[in-house]
Formats: sequence, C-alpha cells, structure tokens
Amino acid sequence: MSRDTVTSGAWRQSAVTAFAIACMGLAPFGAAPAVAQSGEPITIGFISELSGPYSFFGTSCKQGLEFAEKKIAAEGGVLNRPLTFKVMDDQTNPAQAVAAARSLDVQDNVLALTGPTSSDIALAIYGYAEQNKVPFVVPVAAFAQLTKPGTKYTFRVEPDAVGWGYAAAKFVAARKAGAKLALMYTDNALARAITAGIKYQAEKENVSIVADILFPQGSNDATVQAAQVAAAKPDFVYLATVGAFDVTTTNQLLDLGIKPEQIIHNVGATSTLLGYGARSVGSNYGTFFDANLDNVTAEGHKFIDDFVQQVGRIPSYVENYCYNTAYIIKTAIEKAGGADREKFRDAMSSLNMVEPTSGVPISFDKNGARKEYMYYMQLTGIAAKSYTAKRLFYIEWAPETLPVYDLVK
Amino acid sequence: MTTSAILLIAISVITTGLVLGVIFSLVAAGVTIVYGSIWLPNASNGQFFLTAALICWSFVTWLAVPIWVAALLTLAVSLPISYLLEATLIRRFYDVPDRNIAYFVLTLGVTQILSGIFSVTYGRWSDQFNLPPMIAGVTFIGPFPMTNNRIFVLGAASVLLALLFAMLRFHPYGRALRAVFQNREAAALRGVNVRAIYRLSFALGMLSIFAGGILYGMAYSFDLTVAWTMAVTAFAIMIVGGPGSVLGAVVVGMVFGFTQAGVSTFTSPTLATFSYLAAMLIILLLKPSGLFSR
Repeated sequence: MSRDTVTSGAWRQSAVTAFAIACMGLAPFGAAPAVAQSGEPITIGFISELSGPYSFFGTSCKQGLEFAEKKIAAEGGVLNRPLTFKVMDDQTNPAQAVAAARSLDVQDNVLALTGPTSSDIALAIYGYAEQNKVPFVVPVAAFAQLTKPGTKYTFRVEPDAVGWGYAAAKFVAARKAGAKLALMYTDNALARAITAGIKYQAEKENVSIVADILFPQGSNDATVQAAQVAAAKPDFVYLATVGAFDVTTTNQLLDLGIKPEQIIHNVGATSTLLGYGARSVGSNYGTFFDANLDNVTAEGHKFIDDFVQQVGRIPSYVENYCYNTAYIIKTAIEKAGGADREKFRDAMSSLNMVEPTSGVPISFDKNGARKEYMYYMQLTGIAAKSYTAKRLFYIEWAPETLPVYDLVK
Repeated sequence: MTTSAILLIAISVITTGLVLGVIFSLVAAGVTIVYGSIWLPNASNGQFFLTAALICWSFVTWLAVPIWVAALLTLAVSLPISYLLEATLIRRFYDVPDRNIAYFVLTLGVTQILSGIFSVTYGRWSDQFNLPPMIAGVTFIGPFPMTNNRIFVLGAASVLLALLFAMLRFHPYGRALRAVFQNREAAALRGVNVRAIYRLSFALGMLSIFAGGILYGMAYSFDLTVAWTMAVTAFAIMIVGGPGSVLGAVVVGMVFGFTQAGVSTFTSPTLATFSYLAAMLIILLLKPSGLFSR
C-alpha cells in the first residue's frame, strides 16, 4: 500500500479489532521480541486518555508508541533488557491520572511516566511527578506550565502553545506584510495560550487583529461569527477551534466566501484534515510532523507505511511524538546506563538526539522545555481517506525567545 | 460597517436562529412528550440524540448507503430501541409513586453506560464526525449564502414538527395521548389504554429525539460532547416551556435558537451560552411551572 492510500476495508478492520479488544477487556501491548534479551524488563508507566473526551488522542498516542515498542524489542531492547510500557487509562480525568501515577510509582516502581495527550491531565501528573521525583516525559501536551521555571523532573516533547501562536504570527507576516488577521478560537487553555502568543508577536510583525472571537466549549454554530469575520475583510483567519466544531467553523467560513488560502488551522491531525473536505484544499495548517514533509527519514516512512497498513489512516504529529517518545526514553536509559531515576533525569536533561522519524533535533532546556519548532503546510488534495500537502514555512526558536510564563499564568 | 455587511450579519442571525431553533424544538418536544405522559425526565436524551447521529454516520461510512436512506434507516432503528428500553426498563416503574425520581436516576445510568460505550468505540476512531450533505450547493438570501443542506434541514425539521402537532391534535392516538397528559385517571375511565399510550409516547419521544440527532448531524459536524450540550439545552427548554407542553417546547426552542444567534452577535458566543440558562432561571423564579404549563 502506498504511503498516502488508505482503504476503507483496512479502516473498518482496525475499528472492529479495536472494538473487540475493548469488549474483551484486553490490552495487548507489544509483541514478542525478535532478539533475545536478558535481565529484568525496564518498565515505563504509560498513562493516557483511552476513554472519555480525549480517547481519540490517547488511543492514537498508544498506537504510535506500540510501533516503537515493537521495533525496540526487535532491536534487542535497551541495555539488553526488554523495555516495556505498562498502560493505564486515565479516563480523561485528572484525579484518575494521579491515582494511576501513584500506583505505577509505588506498586510497579516504574522508571518514568509518560503518555498523556491532554494538558489538563499532564498538569495533574506533573504535580505528582515533581513532588515525588518521578521522571515524566510528556509526549503530546502543549501547555507551557508543564515546564515552568523550577521544573526538574518533567520534559515536554511538544512545543508549547504560546510558541504555536508566535509561529503563526511569523507565518502570517511572511505570507503578507501588514496583514489583517481574524482570530476564532475555543475557550480552553490551549487556544488561550496560542492566541496570547499570536497577539504578542503580531504587534511586532505589524500584523493587525481585525476580529477576535472566543467561543465557549460546546459551541456548535459559527455562522454569525463567520459573517462578522467576512465583514471585517481579513487577509487570514486563524482557527483554534476544536474537533467537530473546527470542521463546522471551517465550512461556515467557506460558505461565506472566505477562500481556503485565507484559513490557517492551528494544527493538523489526520482525522480533522480529512473532515474539512475537498473544498478546503488550499487551506493552511500548523504541525510538527507530516507524512508529506521532505525530511521524513527512511524510518519515518516505514512507520507511516506500517501505521497506514495496520491502523488505516496516516499518522499525524500525535502518533509521531508518541513513537519518538519511546526512542527518547530508550536513548536516555542508554545514556544513564541503567534504570536509576536520578541518572535517567540527568540523561534527559543533557539529551542531544534527533527524532528517528524526521531528523528534527531533540534537546531540553533546564526546565524541560524542548527547543521549539513548527511547520506550516498547505493542503493540496483531500481524498476519502488520505490527503496531500506541501510545506510553506518552517521556523524554530529557543523557548526563552518569548515571555511565555508572563503571557500565560 | 457597510449596509451589505450589516445585512449579511442580520440574515446570518435569522437563519442560524431558525436552524438551531427547529432542531432544539424537535428534541425538546420529544423530551416533553415523554415527561408529560410517563413522568420520565429523560436525562439520557442527549446520548440518544448522539446515538442517532452516530448510527446515521455508521450507515453512511460503513455500509456506504446514501444519506437519505441512512436517515430513514436510523429513524427505523429508533423503534426497536424504544421497544427494548420500554420493555426492559421503563415499564417496571409505571406503578411506582414518585417514579420521576427513579426514572431520572435510571436515565442518568443509561447516560453513563452509553457515554462509556461511545468513548471506547467511536471516541477512539475519530475526534469528529461528518455526514455528507443531503443537497449540495448554496442559495443566496440577499448577500448571505445559505447551504442548500441547511435549508433542507430547516424544512425537514419544520415538516416533522408540523406532523407532530397534527398527530397530537387530530389522530385518535394523539388525542388519547393529550388526554393522558391532562389527567390519566380520567382518561383511563374514558377507556383510554393508558399503558399503551405510555408506550406510544415513549416511542414517539425517542423518534423525535432521533430525528433531531440526524438533522443536527446533517447541519453540523459533531463529536461526542454534543450529547451533553443537547441534554442541558433540551431540559432547559422543557422547563421553561412547561413540562409536558409540546407548544412550549417548540416556542421556547425557537426563542433559544434566536437567543443564541442574537446574543452572540451583539455580545459574545460565551454570553450566548449562558443567556438562555439565565432566562431559564428567571422564568423559574417568575413562573415555576413554566411558560406554557396548564
């Protein structure tokens, strides 16, 4: 199967399989290693949103991690020991996530924690991890407070949300000098942080904000607001709305004559990109990994092909980060020379590697924030189960470039 | 702002109010019919609303049937679901005093079960779901381009509401149902089979909620959170309109639709969400039985 082709049969098969597994209460994770490994397994606690409102993202993350876990096992594990991930469902509930963290720490004595895709959940685990000195590698959660000054045991793999806004303002300025920008976003921590970053940087880039529309969570219609935006005649509309409402808002903007090229989506996940539909071709989206990027490595292409074959859709940045997080942990264990938490933490702090799937550098500052970067892509085609896109813009910056912790409390 | 821009926004408010209003009305009518006859405050109405949209999406996505066939099949599916629920859960409480509390707790349980099932099935497959349009293209109303699909949704929901009114007013079952609404003991003395009317009203209420879910799925992209939004909205409409009053559900449903569209234009979408809940509290203070209660 080609990289960008997904059959509906494969999709159905994976859906039925997922349902059967859920019904049986089974969660097989990882396969028998191809290379013999001796010694006790090194166990990492994987806490994610396998049910509740974020179940799609948690499940996607787990799928990405599973590919890496199998590959690491086939490569002989880490330090000749099996690397295993003990999975727990936090039900998209911070209290449940903390309970899972405690159980994995005290009962299973895991080396480190990882897994959440929701900033709220990650923040709950962050408190536990910092207090109890358990290394915590956050694969997909962008809230800046996860790496606030003084953080010692938490490492954030995804660039922070204020930075997304910084990158968006830079992108808009690069597309058109003195551009007029409209903002439409949902009232959540992520979107507030993104728009804080946009507003901060827009001033410096001579980008004027001509509409600033905040939607409460649970909104279903944006017709009126789309009309207000159309009346303001912006050059670009930045959308930081969520899930289904993002698709609804996009369609309502297009209905009102906003051109796809004017629309900038905060971030592109495969399901949402496909949901926009063919009429959205030409629109732009931010991302940290995309199957259409030129810099995807051979390993990245294999991951994408295998993922499409098995899961039935193209992996996006979520699955990619979770895949790479397994390798970040593996590399840090090798650097630490064993399964000691303090040595692992030190190894994470001084890590200097590249993402196996894309070659993008990975290193963390003293607070666990990653050196930031972002791509802006333009959709060039959408089919029933696949899409194509081209890279328009790339930017990287150091976390201290922005007064992140002043902009978002 | 130019005249054209003002007109664009004004027409968008009207069309949005109409589309949201008819969908709200349809669902709230379904909730209030069941409450008026059985005294069942259906806390799981939002989950059944979502169930309908997901079933319709499943027919379209997995069986590749045309959207109109999927919509009709989904409506048909509501009948065995209603029968099963009525036979296994609902009818056991018909003779229980103060059964509305028992029913509320029961339907909260159903809500949790359905929510859990959806989160580990559909919730893992996608974060958003879309139905194809019934009719493609747009029609310009002045400067405002309204999609033909939404015009269809508006028309279909209006026809369904009219049919519901006609059925309640002119059909013998409808008259019997209204008699049970007003005084079930007197209706029984007049030869009305009250239990049969209970079953009918439950099926009719579910059919109405399912229709609302399907039409919503046609008009908007949806995700699993829509169940909670709709549950609160339908309850609020029923309480303001007067529990058991279909007319109240329709009138207040339309008012809520226009309130949401209008308030969000002049203030913010956030205030719009709170505005009708605030209206509910004020009306409860002034007329605790609801605007259209008898």
